[in-house]
Amino acid sequence: MKLRLSVAGLLACVLLAVTSCTKNFEKYNTDNTGLQPSQFSAALIFQGIQTALFGEEGNYQLDQNLNADCYSGYMMSPDPFRGNINNLTYSLVDGWNQQVFSDAYTISMFDINYIAAVGTKASQPDFWAIALILKVETMDRVTDKYGPIAYSAVGKSVTATPYDSQQSVYNQFFLELDTAVTSLNTYIKANPGATPFQKYDLVYNGDYTKWLKFANSLRLRLAMHLTKIDAVTAQAQAEKALDPTNGGLMSVPSDDAGISGGGYHNPLFVITTSWTDISLGAPLQTYMTGYNDPRLPVYASPVVTNPKTAGALPATYAGQYIGIRIGSLITAKPSYNSYSTLNPTTAVSSSSPMIMMTAAEVWFLKAEAALRGWPNAGNAQTDYNTGIQTSMAQWGVSPGNYITDATSTQAAYTDPTNSANSSPALSTATIAWNAGATNEQNLERIITQKWLAMFPEGQEAWTEYRRTGYPKLFPVVTNNSNGTIDSQIQIRRLAYPQAEYTSNGAAVKAAVQLLGGPDNGGTRVWWDVAKANF
Amino acid sequence: MKKILPLILLVPCLALGANNHHNPISSTSFTTVGISQNVTNATPVKGVVKDETGTTLPGVSVVIKGTTTGTQTDANGKFSLNANPGDVLVFSYVGYTKKEVIVANQTNFTIVLSSDSKSLNEVVVTALGIKKSEKSLTYSTDQVSGKELTDVPTDNLMNSLNGKLSGVTITPSASGVGGSAKVILRGNKSVAGGNQPLYVIDGIPISNGSNSNGQPNSTYGTAVGQGGGGIASTNQDGGDGISNLNPDDIESITVLKGASAAALYGSQAQNGVILITTKKGKAGKAVINFSSSFTADKIAYQPQFQNTYGQSPTAATQSWGPKLTSSAPDNLSQFFQTGTNFTNSINISGGSEMAQTYFSYANTTAAGVEPGNKLSRNNINLRETGHFLNNKLTLDANVNYVAQNVDNSPGLGFYLNPLTGLYLFPRGQNITPYKTQFELPAVAGGNGAPTQNWPFNEDVQQNPWWITNRDPNTSNRNRTIINATAKYDITSWLSIQARGIDDRTYDTYQQDLYAGTIGVLSKANGQFLLTNQLNEHKYADMLITFSVPGKSDFKLDGILGGSITDDHVDGTNIGPDVNNNYNGNGLIIPNVFVPQNLDVAADGSPVQNLQAVHNQDQALFANANLSYKNWAYLTVTARNDWSSELAYTPNESYFYPSAGLSLILSQMLALPTDISYAKIRGTYAQVGNTVSIPYATDPLTHFGTGGVTLNSVAPFPLLKPERTNSFELGTDLRFFADKLSASFTYYKSNTTDQAIAILPAFTTSFSKGYLNAGNIQNSGVEFTLGYEAIHTTNFSWNTSFNGSANRNKVLDVDSKAGIPQVVLTPNNNNSYESILATGGSYNDIYGVTFKRDSQGRILIGAGGAPETNNGYNYLGNPDPKFQLGWENNIKYKNFNFEFLVDGKFGGQVLSLTQAVMDQYGVSEASGAARNAGGVKINGVNATTGVPVTSVDPYTWYSTVGGRAGISENYMYSATVVRLREASLGYTVPFTSGAIKSLRFSLIGRNLIYFYKKAPFDPEVTMSTGNGLSGVDVFNQPATRNYGLSLNATF
Repeated sequence: MKLRLSVAGLLACVLLAVTSCTKNFEKYNTDNTGLQPSQFSAALIFQGIQTALFGEEGNYQLDQNLNADCYSGYMMSPDPFRGNINNLTYSLVDGWNQQVFSDAYTISMFDINYIAAVGTKASQPDFWAIALILKVETMDRVTDKYGPIAYSAVGKSVTATPYDSQQSVYNQFFLELDTAVTSLNTYIKANPGATPFQKYDLVYNGDYTKWLKFANSLRLRLAMHLTKIDAVTAQAQAEKALDPTNGGLMSVPSDDAGISGGGYHNPLFVITTSWTDISLGAPLQTYMTGYNDPRLPVYASPVVTNPKTAGALPATYAGQYIGIRIGSLITAKPSYNSYSTLNPTTAVSSSSPMIMMTAAEVWFLKAEAALRGWPNAGNAQTDYNTGIQTSMAQWGVSPGNYITDATSTQAAYTDPTNSANSSPALSTATIAWNAGATNEQNLERIITQKWLAMFPEGQEAWTEYRRTGYPKLFPVVTNNSNGTIDSQIQIRRLAYPQAEYTSNGAAVKAAVQLLGGPDNGGTRVWWDVAKANF
Repeated sequence: MKKILPLILLVPCLALGANNHHNPISSTSFTTVGISQNVTNATPVKGVVKDETGTTLPGVSVVIKGTTTGTQTDANGKFSLNANPGDVLVFSYVGYTKKEVIVANQTNFTIVLSSDSKSLNEVVVTALGIKKSEKSLTYSTDQVSGKELTDVPTDNLMNSLNGKLSGVTITPSASGVGGSAKVILRGNKSVAGGNQPLYVIDGIPISNGSNSNGQPNSTYGTAVGQGGGGIASTNQDGGDGISNLNPDDIESITVLKGASAAALYGSQAQNGVILITTKKGKAGKAVINFSSSFTADKIAYQPQFQNTYGQSPTAATQSWGPKLTSSAPDNLSQFFQTGTNFTNSINISGGSEMAQTYFSYANTTAAGVEPGNKLSRNNINLRETGHFLNNKLTLDANVNYVAQNVDNSPGLGFYLNPLTGLYLFPRGQNITPYKTQFELPAVAGGNGAPTQNWPFNEDVQQNPWWITNRDPNTSNRNRTIINATAKYDITSWLSIQARGIDDRTYDTYQQDLYAGTIGVLSKANGQFLLTNQLNEHKYADMLITFSVPGKSDFKLDGILGGSITDDHVDGTNIGPDVNNNYNGNGLIIPNVFVPQNLDVAADGSPVQNLQAVHNQDQALFANANLSYKNWAYLTVTARNDWSSELAYTPNESYFYPSAGLSLILSQMLALPTDISYAKIRGTYAQVGNTVSIPYATDPLTHFGTGGVTLNSVAPFPLLKPERTNSFELGTDLRFFADKLSASFTYYKSNTTDQAIAILPAFTTSFSKGYLNAGNIQNSGVEFTLGYEAIHTTNFSWNTSFNGSANRNKVLDVDSKAGIPQVVLTPNNNNSYESILATGGSYNDIYGVTFKRDSQGRILIGAGGAPETNNGYNYLGNPDPKFQLGWENNIKYKNFNFEFLVDGKFGGQVLSLTQAVMDQYGVSEASGAARNAGGVKINGVNATTGVPVTSVDPYTWYSTVGGRAGISENYMYSATVVRLREASLGYTVPFTSGAIKSLRFSLIGRNLIYFYKKAPFDPEVTMSTGNGLSGVDVFNQPATRNYGLSLNATF
């Protein structure tokens, strides 16, 4: 008994003494699921930056789908979110729209800052060039929604980050594209055919010549945004983009910049199928039915009726294309569920790429540049027709006599459920180029066809609608903006997240000064000027 | 200091080792035992044992001291045994003070045992399991006997304490059988850390962990935004650790409410301590106790529906349609069932003076009020206590095994909750066809799996029976708690003790979602989630207890000790790859829920490690008590902790002290004779607490899209432990020969250096950051009042009141860094947010408010609907301003009647259930408004300034109602007064036979709401975590329980 006791006693003591040491504390407090910075290369982050550009369905729905995709006339939700008082009736939902900031800054900007911090700029200038192109593409989507944004100072403080004016942001974009284009040109010359980025590339499978074309095309797009506010910069940057010595522009569908693969799947597929939260917008439907556009069955699915489903449309509408008008009085989800949706087997199939930019868009940008008389832009009519043909080729349809159709115009909109939403057609623009028409008429033609070709990239479509006023879009039926947004002028921007006022208040208040108007959806951003196109 | 710690711990080792080898007393102890066992000339002695009222006591243990010889009194309280003159007879009985009588020449004894209700007050179990005299305590404690826990049983023993203790707020969760309980002592203190107390069994801390589900913190229940990618987490309550225990094993519970009472437990005791003393074997003949109870549970209330208007023609999910031609069917009764709880437990206790055994087994089988919700629990407990070496060495070991299975824990919140579909179903329609046929045959061209039979496609609702049958979940828990204590008395004034526990819980959780489940939550072929988690809690300590010998007016005693606590939670998650949000079909073959069948992206993985949490805390502590003439007591404590959670920070060590004084005025001064006892006490304490924010000091990158996903959390290398500074003042008084007793306490605590998780501005690019800041203050008063109103042989009535009021104030969040608030529950675009803001209180409810003019009139916008203010604004706070309990215990002959009435007064709660029901036009309010031709309001047209007194009901409720409506309209008083529990018992007067005592009781719980204004029970909570306080989101209604219990002793 004595012996056993002393052994037990000593054992207990030794146990305590041995474990009583803090040397394991760091081991215990180290994340077992984590990676030390030494355990991975910064290149592995690129895929995350690319997928975050549009995001998974939950992010995408809030980042773009429930704002720009609907404001551009492409789509409309059949879901009466928040009792139908939401972005789509011009009552801006802060909790939705803050997702844009959350994704752009805490994912994309954070990651790009990390890539810079580990010295990629010097060690792999070609990778850094890709990072810069993705940065500009990502943040252009943010600044075009809000106006002034935080850009040059991001990541320098955990408590306060000042905003830059939108003009300054655009200037930084152009400079960053300069760096990217120079680096890529240098690399391609030194290492022809090399594809070191292939493993991380969800866009071009490592083809730097295509990244170069995308960078130049992006510059042309950004330049065109500035036609009203700063025509000189617009033309100068456009000329730089059009200069073939800089690497050229996207011209054929294989140049299209879209994100797919690597486990990323088209978010519109899930939103359309599983969630049934998005449908075809009345404007896209009316232009396409009016124009007999062969792309319509690729973009959209016709009405499917089912008498068992509550609120479904009667069987007589089966097979027709009927979109939903923005701001419609939607009381409950089944009431608009049987309207046309996006086509989940073609345009928004699970594996179809999320399109950042297409060659077709570039042809229309060139057409506008030519219309404005800028050098190296070619012939407006040729560019215009090539744009339509390139788009048709992109979606695998035959244009038929579409390009020469000089009579078809937008159709009127009839809502079978609620006639209050119906509207006569707004546009009389026809398809065929008319050299005798005014610049304004031909601009409407270019932008309308560009809009039809850019689907489903609602962000750029909304930007171009705000800049040019085309295509003509039905105003909201219900306006819950409490007078801050004019239904006819339509929404011009999103309001800054309330969270910025809470945590970065001084900076966002200074940004509102830069904006030059109240922080609501009725204030125009810097490049959006209320004046004629010409 | 790091290096000193092991050295100091070795000191007691050397002391123990030395004594083991050289102590000659151990050999004499064998001699002593030997003598008493060699009895040859014993003579018979007999007697009767009674209580103070003269009632005979059956089953009293009678043992000759120092031997194994003993017996028990029979049904008439009589005993007989052989004993020698000079032997000491020891009489002991549960609830009575032990009595020793020397056998002289007398052979017939009449022994009167006195009830130990007062002696319980005199000796109190305090921190570390140390018993102290009540007089010497410088802080207030509350005690509850095991009987009070088992009189009216529930499936979570903490719910049995509700209303019985001052300063303790208990809120049961709405999650059916097997649900957690939220226990808050003297208010919420910590922003990022837990606010629930530390649970301690026989002096040793145990774990109160839930399974990997933890607690929901979203009004949706499930994590938002994960739907399309599959389930990343679900909305069921994971159950808490304390509910696993068998209440029958508990001898008593002591509640140490303040930080001072708990200063010696350190970090984990900042929120107070619940000390559980379990039953031990008792010397004497084996005693067998059997108890059995059955209760039936019914929902205590249901939402109020309108029965006048039917389905809307254009929006078929809603009920804004034409008048019904016949009255609407009662669809709720189709769903809710009568819950049951059947508990059986048996325990056996016995042994000699040297070794005692206690063994128990309990089985609980319960079914909830929602179909499919079931609980089954088996508890086995074995305890051995041995005394060796002339009683100098005591060894005590306990093995506790719990096997628990909970099926279909009800979903909470908007998603995966059967009550949304049930409540919102159009009025006038009969839901029965959807009950009898919740699924439809597979559609042609589909995946071959049956589909859900439900006419609506909305994220908030599914067929209720589909959810209960085709979205099942199972939680399985196996837990072993092994603890052992060795105590050695080196001399009469010095002892050493070593203890240890290994509390190991293995949880598995599985949630299946069949193909046909709504797309927001599942995938085409179904989806599932399987989690395995191991939670291991280890604790060991060593205490040297001394009391300076001598016969001075001054006495000094104390403790030196060291402890080590190690908590480790680890596991794996099998299911959709949350790092790679793959949009496949969920499962390869529909409805086969095995990991091999998961449809995973080429570069994804269905298996992930849970982020392990491993915390270790080492401590040295000391306590000294100085007393003078039994009327003045001074206590000081000091503790230093080293915590692994502070790794990578400059300082892993922190120190904190406490001091207290109590004076027994009734012994110090000559007081009027009516005052039998008077004491004043005061204490100050500091407790440090390292909030467990795993890896905050060194955040790492994670695997994710394309390989890695950077962790955009700003590192926090300066994390400090939070500190609670508290003081309390109080008095304990007894009058009229202790017939009336009263106790009063004032306390105040400030918790500073809070580890606050902040959401930096998005534009900083950090998604999360941490700061040490804040100051949360809790102050309040508590009282208890007890009165022995009547005390005669046949009739007695004891009554007692307890009351408390706590004021919680957030003095500061972080004014230095310009951070005014912390969000506890984000709004997720619904109109509820839980915000902790400077100037506010913990649990404040924020929501959407009406825009009003200067006269307070609601502004009505162009469309006829009310306008709202920007953002989320303060709506109210759900915590009671004051709570009061009234307990009564009436005995008449063999009958006893006990009841407890309690009230929680003040506070406001939010019902999003009501808001959504109004929006859908199913609520009684929406029907009444239509009957009245409009909603009567005090409003004004925002543009014209014309007063508006009535608004069209549909326009009003489609704006005001709904999950994202104007939640200001749905705030209700949280005041509730209820008959919490009642029991009527009858003790069968046995005179002989094997059965020594038998008692039947009729029992009931939550029987009557004397006052309740909210459309739900405001006490029931959706989460026992820090968020979701005071909001009802289609929570399962509270239940009312009735039943019968039986207790038998053999």
